[in-house]
Amino acid sequence: MITAEALTKNYGVKRAVDSVSFTVQPGKVTGFLGPNGAGKSTTMRMIVGLDRPSTGTVTVNGRKYGEHAAPLREVGALLEAKSVHKSRSARTHLRSLAATHSIPNARVDEVIELTGLSAVATKKVGGFSLGMGQRLGIAVALLGDPQTLILDEPVNGLDPEGVQWVRHLARQQAAQGKTVFISSHLMSEMALTADHLIIIGRGRIIADAPIEQVISGQNLPTARVKTDDADALMNALLGENIQVTRLDAETISVVGLDGRTIAQRALDHNILLHELTPQQQSLEEAYMALTQNDVEYHSSLGQQAFAGTNGKQA
Amino acid sequence: MSTTAMARPRSAGPGAAGNGKVSFMGVLRSEFIKFSSLLSTLILVLATIVVMVGIAAVVSWGIGFSLEMAAESPEMAAEMGDLGGIAATLPASGLVFAQLIVGALAVMVMSSEFTTGSARSTFVAVPNRQMVFWAKALMITIVAAVVALVSILLSFLVVKPIVGHYNLDIDFSSEAFQRSLWFSVLYVVMVALIGMALGGLLRNSAGGIVVLAALFFVLPMAMGGFSTMVDWLAKAMRFLPDQAGTALTQLTVAPGGLEQWQNGLLMAAWSLIPLILAAIVLQRRDI
Repeated sequence: MITAEALTKNYGVKRAVDSVSFTVQPGKVTGFLGPNGAGKSTTMRMIVGLDRPSTGTVTVNGRKYGEHAAPLREVGALLEAKSVHKSRSARTHLRSLAATHSIPNARVDEVIELTGLSAVATKKVGGFSLGMGQRLGIAVALLGDPQTLILDEPVNGLDPEGVQWVRHLARQQAAQGKTVFISSHLMSEMALTADHLIIIGRGRIIADAPIEQVISGQNLPTARVKTDDADALMNALLGENIQVTRLDAETISVVGLDGRTIAQRALDHNILLHELTPQQQSLEEAYMALTQNDVEYHSSLGQQAFAGTNGKQA
Repeated sequence: MSTTAMARPRSAGPGAAGNGKVSFMGVLRSEFIKFSSLLSTLILVLATIVVMVGIAAVVSWGIGFSLEMAAESPEMAAEMGDLGGIAATLPASGLVFAQLIVGALAVMVMSSEFTTGSARSTFVAVPNRQMVFWAKALMITIVAAVVALVSILLSFLVVKPIVGHYNLDIDFSSEAFQRSLWFSVLYVVMVALIGMALGGLLRNSAGGIVVLAALFFVLPMAMGGFSTMVDWLAKAMRFLPDQAGTALTQLTVAPGGLEQWQNGLLMAAWSLIPLILAAIVLQRRDI
């Protein structure tokens, strides 16, 4: 089980992860969905202690990752493919990591076979394709036979067969009662793999709900509210299965409450609302809206590249 | 590979991964596996030994040749003074060049973790960063000491017959040779530890090696060049790691030099302070 409480990470003035709280339960696959740059990787890096949270805490099975006596046996993490010296072979890389926990070499050979790397185990990692790099990363994650798996975009660069294999692996591990936390920026991929979804955008949790709820397009009552005292209103609205997201200084988005209830709670707390707009939006639509910005970002990059080509020709 | 083969259930039950915990010896072993699995490091180790032995042989031959010349002119012989003392330090004469290779190697042991991204794997496996850092430091100390020791002993075997040809002798058990041998080993260890610290502080191979070369080559040369004009430079220069380190390998203290115990303290400080600084920075910074 992974528990994050008010986890925040600042890089200079930029806030990559903004007071994020969630729980990843054992026995199911939890998808961590968000567009690129939403804070997925940073959150995962904080879970395993590579990045220190600016504020807040995150624990794995009740303890900070670094406080476990055998971290590799507790958590298996794939953070970025090819976190390996290019001139080292896959087998040596695995053996060097196994040595830290006195994991027998037989287990190294086992995970090599399990991830389909037998044929290239003695080859230098520098020559690996992205897909093979991902397989090696997964082999590392499985090395300690951990109770918790954290996989950051594991299907990136995998062929269709590999994608299916990762899905199968994730489901199998969850079926054994393990905690499986997988990030992706693709809703479609998560729809096939995850039991539960945590959606993150611009460093904040947008949704934390069972996958059926997201997939069925079940429309949750959603509303946009403007008030002068957003903090107080957010506190007044918080509750089970309710997502409250701060959009700007005076605007918040509320998912899970209808307009009438919101107005009633505001009145109870003596908070003035100056806008209350009901919105019919499924979580998937919310996610699509979120990634829309990302798409625009990509296309502007494309234009730059195009301009660059023209420059060369001139 | 087929999907079915890949997807088959795990062959071994729980316990296949054993039940060991993270231990310092395990991490040390891991560091040795990483070190020895790179062809480039093995080549650099070999190069160090070859350079040390080669330079010792050439310098010995040069000294011997000068001796023959001196035998023909008594004034020159008087100028050269006691050559028996010099002979004892001949096996370590390649030190100046070997130090840079070992130092660069030590820089890369640390910096390559960050430039290749393997630091992510390393520090996820062992989140105790200090354990990794000091295991690396111990590994580098052992490697540097063994490389220096082997080089100088091999050089001794090569130098002895060469200088013997010119009627000079090196006594293995003499204080002069023993001092040169062990303090040269310590000297190489110091350079390696400074290199590792630089690799950790800068997280960049080229940067680390450049700073190391500046500290051991450029700075002493530049300061030496200006020291005739600027008085305090000559005094300040004595505090450089290479000056303190090489002074310790000599039986006699150069005029105006620091006392040997001061040199010893300087060497210890140069070995440990950058290293401790790098350990603190590693603890604080994100990987």
